[in-house]
Amino acid sequence: MPFRKFFSWIKGFFGHRKSFSLGLYGQPGAGKSTIANRIAKEWTGEEMSTVSEVPHETRQVVKKEQIVISSNGKTFSMNLLDMPGIATKVDYKDFVKTGMNAKKAQTRAREATKGIIEAIKWLEHVDAALVVMDATEDPYTQVNITILGNLEARGIPVILIANKIDLKKARVDKIKDAFPQHVVVPISALTGENFPKIYEEIAKRA
Amino acid sequence: MANLNIEFVAARVFEGKASEEKIKIVLDSVKKGKILVLESGFTVAEERDLIKATMPLISKGFPGIEVSTLSQPTPDLKSLLIKALGGSQGLTIVGPSNLVKKITKDPTKLNVIAGK
Repeated sequence: MPFRKFFSWIKGFFGHRKSFSLGLYGQPGAGKSTIANRIAKEWTGEEMSTVSEVPHETRQVVKKEQIVISSNGKTFSMNLLDMPGIATKVDYKDFVKTGMNAKKAQTRAREATKGIIEAIKWLEHVDAALVVMDATEDPYTQVNITILGNLEARGIPVILIANKIDLKKARVDKIKDAFPQHVVVPISALTGENFPKIYEEIAKRA
Repeated sequence: MANLNIEFVAARVFEGKASEEKIKIVLDSVKKGKILVLESGFTVAEERDLIKATMPLISKGFPGIEVSTLSQPTPDLKSLLIKALGGSQGLTIVGPSNLVKKITKDPTKLNVIAGK
């Protein structure tokens, strides 16, 4: 609905609410939980998610409430939601490759599919989103397009996070070229590089 | 070399059908091992619902799907009008992920790598 979108744009990213929910979206392995942990640790002193090399480590929405952030002279409060990575397939054999036995891998795959459904349901409830992309991978995937398309259709404010810029293979320009309609913040969740820029971009619209 | 079953589906197959029905028809075929090329492509909302509907079907023998739609990244007035009149959104390819290994895309083409 163009008028609704236009109105929500004029109103500002977060409608000047006292507190809003910010969802971390992306494909598995993009670094959502590492980012969530850094943000939570920096502003609350506590991490919020478990991180590992095994795909689909986050299989339920992890929520940290009332994170108070100050940036650019603004202070705002948000509920941060670390979403399970969205994918179109979950093959238990991928978990077996990480050393799990077949039974455990199948259980994990089942949990991962439930997590994906939960993350998709939340697309209709978040107030804003950080869509995290691995800058070393091709960003123009159907999953990224589907996530962004659904957020855009609802007029949800989006900031793209180009993660893993500490790696030589990182190509932030590819993300900018693929999605020129969005602000792209290049960061390294591993080193913490450029995190203040994330807060700035949120504060600009808060 | 093993054969692949690729089915090209005309837009009229889905005419007058709700999204849920369209998704069910597609998933029924994909679960049987078919790769579908849909003349009437999925919208982003339908793709979201397709992923959601796929998840409970995942099992040892069916690890999920690969899907990709070739459509205009930013719809212009003409494409919005076509959409309003019930026309095609673009072309969608969807298949079981154990056959469709990878789909890469850019705004003008889809590249599908498939095999058994």
